[in-house]
Amino acid sequence: MAKNGYDYDAIIIGAGPAGSTIARLLAQNGKDVLVIDKRKDIGSPVRCGEGLGQREVVAMGLDLPKEVISTPIVGAKVVGPNGKEIVWRSKDTNGWVLERKMFDKWLAELAVHKGAEVRAYTRAVDLVKKDGKINGVRMEKYGSDAHDVTAPLVISAEGMEAHIARKAGFKTVHNLYDVDTCYQYEMQEYEHENLIELYFGNNVAPRGYVWIFPKKDKKANVGIGIGANLAKWKKNSGIMGADPKILLDDFIAKNPKLRDASTLVDFGGVISVGAPLDKFVDDNIMVIGTAAKQVDPIHGGGIALALEAGVMAAKVANEAIEKGDFSKQKLFEYEKVWRAGPGKKVEKRLLLRKVLENMSDDDFNHIFNTVTQQDLDLVMQGKFAGPVAKVLAGRPQLMGVLKALIS
Amino acid sequence: MITIDHTGCVICVGCASVCPFGAVELVGTRMKTYSEKCTDCGLCIKACPANVITLHKGIKDVKDLPAEARKKL
Repeated sequence: MAKNGYDYDAIIIGAGPAGSTIARLLAQNGKDVLVIDKRKDIGSPVRCGEGLGQREVVAMGLDLPKEVISTPIVGAKVVGPNGKEIVWRSKDTNGWVLERKMFDKWLAELAVHKGAEVRAYTRAVDLVKKDGKINGVRMEKYGSDAHDVTAPLVISAEGMEAHIARKAGFKTVHNLYDVDTCYQYEMQEYEHENLIELYFGNNVAPRGYVWIFPKKDKKANVGIGIGANLAKWKKNSGIMGADPKILLDDFIAKNPKLRDASTLVDFGGVISVGAPLDKFVDDNIMVIGTAAKQVDPIHGGGIALALEAGVMAAKVANEAIEKGDFSKQKLFEYEKVWRAGPGKKVEKRLLLRKVLENMSDDDFNHIFNTVTQQDLDLVMQGKFAGPVAKVLAGRPQLMGVLKALIS
Repeated sequence: MITIDHTGCVICVGCASVCPFGAVELVGTRMKTYSEKCTDCGLCIKACPANVITLHKGIKDVKDLPAEARKKL
């Protein structure tokens, strides 16, 4: 039972990886939490490539059940603009491609199991305020009237759209330069080797890449992400913009292994590849996961960061509820920990993204021509010096790029 | 105002995430547009991965849409 006449100790908006994680951790500490999700079916529609590294899962103490994993990943293949491949294989699994739909649902179920209440197909309409302070959420279950539910703490885990956080004054709108527009098919049959495959080149995917993520039963997620600020295609109403689908269809038509494969699912998405929000908390509200733009700026992946933010925010939210202190000073403890940890990494990756997007196909080709399997093994062991010196010997102007890679 | 061809929409909410005016939002199982907030800026069209958004410049009301566009609503 929530304290001080509130309906709940906290209301969490969004049952994605961030929302379900914080709900689980609060509920298991005896807090009374409500999670609402506007989707009819939690986990659906899927909007991503579904990859997740093993290190992150181990760090979170999660034990993934069979049904949420599609297939393990054992390495990566990167293909340059000139078609040269660099392949890296490890002896062990180093990540998985998930069944994202099942993964999200499983995380929500874990939260329910610990005592959280989850309501799907329920939309947050607005924040409820009392004496100018956030005091709950006006929500609407489809088919019934909107009603107010009170809690001293609102946690926005809304993902890309983040319209409630926006109403609370967070700058959640994305500008075109800081998003990639993506299209993806789940395809079958594709003979893969359980490698993540990435294809670079300005003709393949300007300011981005094509990915092939292996899935079970010879299936694969074949997708593309390109800068949304590119304006090379005439779109509806004659507006010039980015059109990932045209490029992806072109890539597939030119790939003999994919040309005749079937498409089972069409996905689309706009992913954040920019900087995190300038603040994650205010009085009585916290923003976590993709809603806070806590996303890897290189590949737009948000699952691992969402899980991590969920854990960090839960610790602070737990204390806040126990002390009855929901001031932004108290909640800022989560932001501080995030910025000192994952935030530092995201900052570096953002810098690297900006360097990479200024590299020409020639620069990429030079790297692909120079780097060997041996070099790659060294890089994977964290020994950059040799390979970097080799690349620079042939193209000293890449100095700036590589500095960002290793600093 | 804009209209969305819901048959082709992949419900990624990309339009909503780049709209500076909150003129489009996921409601139920489809994207809903608010013509009174739309400024005809076209950012959503640039970002839309499925290319299903059409701009009707200067039009503020559904009843002023061309018949072809009204059919798809």
